Amino acid sequence: MTARLASRISLLSLSSPGSVCTAPLRRNYYVYKDPVYKHMPQSFNFKRKNYIDKFRRDRRHKIIKVELPDPDERAKLDAMTPDEMRAKMKEKGIQPTRPWQEKPFFISSTAGTFEAYVPPEGDGKLSAASRAGAKQKLQFLEKKGKSMIAIRKIRQFDEDFDTKDFAEKAQEIYIEAHKALADFNKVRLHQTVTERAYPVVTHQARSKTIRWQFLGSLEPPQVVHARCTDVLNKENVFAQVTVRFHTKQTLAVYDRFGRLQHGSEVVARDVLEYVVFENHIANSYGLWRIHDKIIPDWMPPRQPILKTYRVEETVEEASSADKESKEVELASKAGNQPIAATA
Amino acid sequence: MGLRALQSCASRSTFIWPIKGCPTGIIAHPLLQYPDIPGAKGNSESCSFHTSSLLCWDRPKGPQSWPKNNKLKFPPTPLGEEQRPAFVCHMKTNIKYSPSKMWYVACLVRGLRIDDAINQLKFVHKKGSVAARETLEEAQKIAVRDHNVEFPSNLWVSESFVGKGMVIKGFRRHARRRMGVVEYKYCHYFVTLEEGEPPEHYYHFRRNLTPQEMLQEWLEEQRMRTINLSL
Repeated sequence: MTARLASRISLLSLSSPGSVCTAPLRRNYYVYKDPVYKHMPQSFNFKRKNYIDKFRRDRRHKIIKVELPDPDERAKLDAMTPDEMRAKMKEKGIQPTRPWQEKPFFISSTAGTFEAYVPPEGDGKLSAASRAGAKQKLQFLEKKGKSMIAIRKIRQFDEDFDTKDFAEKAQEIYIEAHKALADFNKVRLHQTVTERAYPVVTHQARSKTIRWQFLGSLEPPQVVHARCTDVLNKENVFAQVTVRFHTKQTLAVYDRFGRLQHGSEVVARDVLEYVVFENHIANSYGLWRIHDKIIPDWMPPRQPILKTYRVEETVEEASSADKESKEVELASKAGNQPIAATA
Repeated sequence: MGLRALQSCASRSTFIWPIKGCPTGIIAHPLLQYPDIPGAKGNSESCSFHTSSLLCWDRPKGPQSWPKNNKLKFPPTPLGEEQRPAFVCHMKTNIKYSPSKMWYVACLVRGLRIDDAINQLKFVHKKGSVAARETLEEAQKIAVRDHNVEFPSNLWVSESFVGKGMVIKGFRRHARRRMGVVEYKYCHYFVTLEEGEPPEHYYHFRRNLTPQEMLQEWLEEQRMRTINLSL
């Protein structure tokens, strides 16, 4: 008991004149202790807080207030309504700018596919050598009236237009486009892909390494559909031709760090695609370029990425594309039905 | 009145902050509108109609090069070699907090797993811990969404440091007509998250040596001894 008292008295520093009386450091937060960290002895520091309460109000007025910028300004700007913004600008004394801008632009591609082709169900499942497959193949383009009218319109501008030759050329453009995407050669990509398709094709391909190989076509490419539209004028004609490709390809997508993300370099897949090619035929320098791809509902889902991911809760209006945000949307070879090649 | 024009003007003040969206002076024709790309929100806002003029463009201020590390692309790892771990760099600029005080928060988080780091920051009674926590959470989301990280918890803080931001000088009165300067300090907080397990010791050179290592060191010291001016 006396020992405890003695320790208490010594703490008050009345008995030992040599010791320094310091208040124990009070902290309201926990400091993560690194066992290797050297212990620094506490030393009396200059304290900013003035503990005398008498002139506290007057001391507050000694500091002249400065208007500090708001770090969340940018974020708040997006959430503001136009009226709130006008009020803020008045406050700051900024005059509004003139709203109109004039700059010439050139329409080099349409915004979508006009009267898209509807591929028949079960296409590509039967071999052409079988009876049922041959029947399927009998859907000649000549029977499609509107497509023939469109092809005749194309021949008005380009006399040497032939569907068979065009189908071969289209396959070459298709291969060029894929190679350009794998190399990310923007110049070549713009020449083989329209402005409407360019962002769709490149948006997930930027930070990735793509290795794509074209192994061969299982069936010769076929023109299945053709349409012509005019934009603004009757003479300003755009032609859209849908070509059916049934090919063998390999696709391997590596992410930023060189890890395989999708597909395989070795395993070949059979790919059935309906690609829309567009050309500004009224323009004498117009090129046939990939414009769109038609994905029918009966097409089986694509091959998923090698890693697992969390599927977001679908809201009623949300499209299915929102869910598969991690999948590469590039003309993906994966998941197309394997061909029952048995005759 | 163009909404974008309003926004860019409202932001023009003595303190100009870096602009988020890309500036374009081109009016998009309705037919040329690009379809809304799903999942491409990332850095830029979707801008099919953009009406601000180039004169309104605010030059980006503050640190710009840290997020560029996220654009580095590595070639595919050859067969047999170890896979490179994913990393993501993120920052939060212009935090109204002193960099010297923020340093403590940055040091706390180094070498911890992401979940541990966030949980520790929840209980740190410092203003900077809020900003640090937001940065870590954002970085985690970006890693999962954009950088092919499979599990959000499989990340650890490999780099965490503070940079000095702008300093706005105000003043205060002292006795006897003397004036003092009051500094309002800002800081930037930078973080790198890496995928995988953190190392046992973040500061390798400061780790506690095992008895075997200590013995080796002692032996080397003993062997290094020489007698001066001897043959």
